[in-house]
Amino acid sequence: MAHKRLKFLGVAAAVLMVAMACGGSPSGGGGTKQYKIGLVTDIGGLNDKSFNHLAYVGLEKAKSDFGIVDSVTESHSGNDYVPNLTSFASKNYDLVIGVGFLMQEAVGTVSGTFPNIHFAIIDGAGTDSTGKDLQHTNVQSLFFKEQDAGAMVGVISGMLEKQGKAKKNKGVISAVGGVSIPPVNHYIAGYKWAATMEDPGIKVEVGYSNDFTDPAKCQGVAKGQINDGSDILFQVAGGCGLGVLQAAGQAGLYSIGVDADQKAADPSVIASALKKVDVATYTAIQNVVKGQFKSGALTFSIANDGAGYAVDNLTLPADIQAELKTVQDKIKAGTLTPPADIP
Amino acid sequence: MTAVTDILHLLFTANLWQATLAAAVLLLLPALGGVISERSGVVNIAMEGMMLTGAFFGVVADLAWHNPLAATGVAMLAGALMATVHAVVSIQFRADQIVSGIAINIFAAGLTVFLVNRIYGLQDVGHVGQSELIPYINVPGLDQIPFLGKVLFQQNVIVYAALIILVLTHVVLFRTRLGLRIRAVGEHPQAADTAGINVFAIRYGAVITSGLLSGLSGAFLAIGISNTFVPNMTDGRGYIALAAMIFGKWTPGGAFIACLIFGLGQAIYDNNSIIHVSPYLLSMLPYLLTLIVLAGVVGRSTPPAADGLPYVPGSE
Repeated sequence: MAHKRLKFLGVAAAVLMVAMACGGSPSGGGGTKQYKIGLVTDIGGLNDKSFNHLAYVGLEKAKSDFGIVDSVTESHSGNDYVPNLTSFASKNYDLVIGVGFLMQEAVGTVSGTFPNIHFAIIDGAGTDSTGKDLQHTNVQSLFFKEQDAGAMVGVISGMLEKQGKAKKNKGVISAVGGVSIPPVNHYIAGYKWAATMEDPGIKVEVGYSNDFTDPAKCQGVAKGQINDGSDILFQVAGGCGLGVLQAAGQAGLYSIGVDADQKAADPSVIASALKKVDVATYTAIQNVVKGQFKSGALTFSIANDGAGYAVDNLTLPADIQAELKTVQDKIKAGTLTPPADIP
Repeated sequence: MTAVTDILHLLFTANLWQATLAAAVLLLLPALGGVISERSGVVNIAMEGMMLTGAFFGVVADLAWHNPLAATGVAMLAGALMATVHAVVSIQFRADQIVSGIAINIFAAGLTVFLVNRIYGLQDVGHVGQSELIPYINVPGLDQIPFLGKVLFQQNVIVYAALIILVLTHVVLFRTRLGLRIRAVGEHPQAADTAGINVFAIRYGAVITSGLLSGLSGAFLAIGISNTFVPNMTDGRGYIALAAMIFGKWTPGGAFIACLIFGLGQAIYDNNSIIHVSPYLLSMLPYLLTLIVLAGVVGRSTPPAADGLPYVPGSE
């Protein structure tokens, strides 16, 4: 008896979970040719406050501008990627967008199965199991030069430190990365490079939380850096990184947000390094709607307004603002190139 | 070998031990809950889910009322509610307690994400203001003791509460009639029943207590340390607490020592910006320590005799 009841309970729980997982709902209106765009998130989910969320923002903007039919599916594990992508592709969607580096192999597989469906992937390419780009002609890769954004906030940190306008002025700043992977390290590389350019004597500490979701872990790493003298802390760890912003706030120091404008996350946030996933998503959709889909890599950087920075809870002195503009122009013109690897 | 000297240097800083204690307390509360529940004979691996639920509802309540004390209460109740589900399923319906625990953990992860979307849409879950977080309080006088003052007396209120709960749990389990009853029910429920002890009541109480404590830990995580909710923010702490409970041979003191070891590993790892070794290597440290201690020092760990066995009145 007990076991039967239990089995029923297990099945009921499973059904409930599946029902919750299927959150996406297609919607749309009338019109001429209606483009169907499908978005598949990675395991971060739509409210990761970071790239999945921004991709959704871009999708919504495209929806209001182009009257597309959109549908979103959230992935809850790595095993969901292929079925979720396949589901859209088999329904003849005009563009299927995979969000995130983690979906590379799935996009590679599904784009091979459906050569007539267009795919776009953010932060990655369609690859085989070894990570080699399969270069399918129906896949567009949307990459970012995170180092551009990192460099801009690095300029702010370096100059504040050099001018003695930070809080402790021991000449130490720091960054907390989630995991040591290319998109994270690009940010940190630009940050360290630019801070050192502005203040050659500066010490830039780099730590990793080994996590993207748990603020307490990032707070621990941030506290370690604060104990060592850091007074401007750059978070590159998604939801985990909120702990960095808060640790800086509690210690009365400055912090820098990442991906989206994190001004509201904590009063300590003086600037944010922006990776405009919304712009990239919107652009990819726009290309399809206008019949200009191109396979291969499309890179978003300061030059095409796909990366940038926001100044948040601090009014910067005029000379720092001027330097920001100079550096931004030089990066745009190609006379300054922030490195992709941490110097 | 610079990494070794870096770590040795760290071991002599009060900051490290302060962080160790705070990290240990996050694990200690659910571990104590596990000890109480399993001592009464109900296997409980649902601490992760109860903690996550507590964290979520703690944030929701704090954002609504701006009152961290009330929000902590809500977090504990949310944890207790999840525990009640586990209790009903495993005590009343005698279901497999492992499966019930897993179901609760998965359910809690799904429920919280679902509710985040429902309540806050796709926007940020709000940030709890600094003044509304569970406060850090320095104990006057004692906090000035060199080294120990910083480690023991400059902590969050929850840390002090957890240390008191630790002592209470030990005293109740091993020095009171209630504790004797809990342990009797966990070792030999038939005998306890014959002696007039209400097995079901004791087990319900123990499981719900584990929910209260896990919820409290969730509150510490979400509105003490962090000031927001992030899906899956408990990050496996409920499972580590489970390991700490087994490591500590189902005793409060033993579990505390295990939590301190895990906490120390975390605190050392937190300094990976300063220690010159791969962070991946460093993150293995607590688990490596555990393996060594388990193999060499702790020896065989035996659960309560009736742990995991549903009690059927009148059975042999």
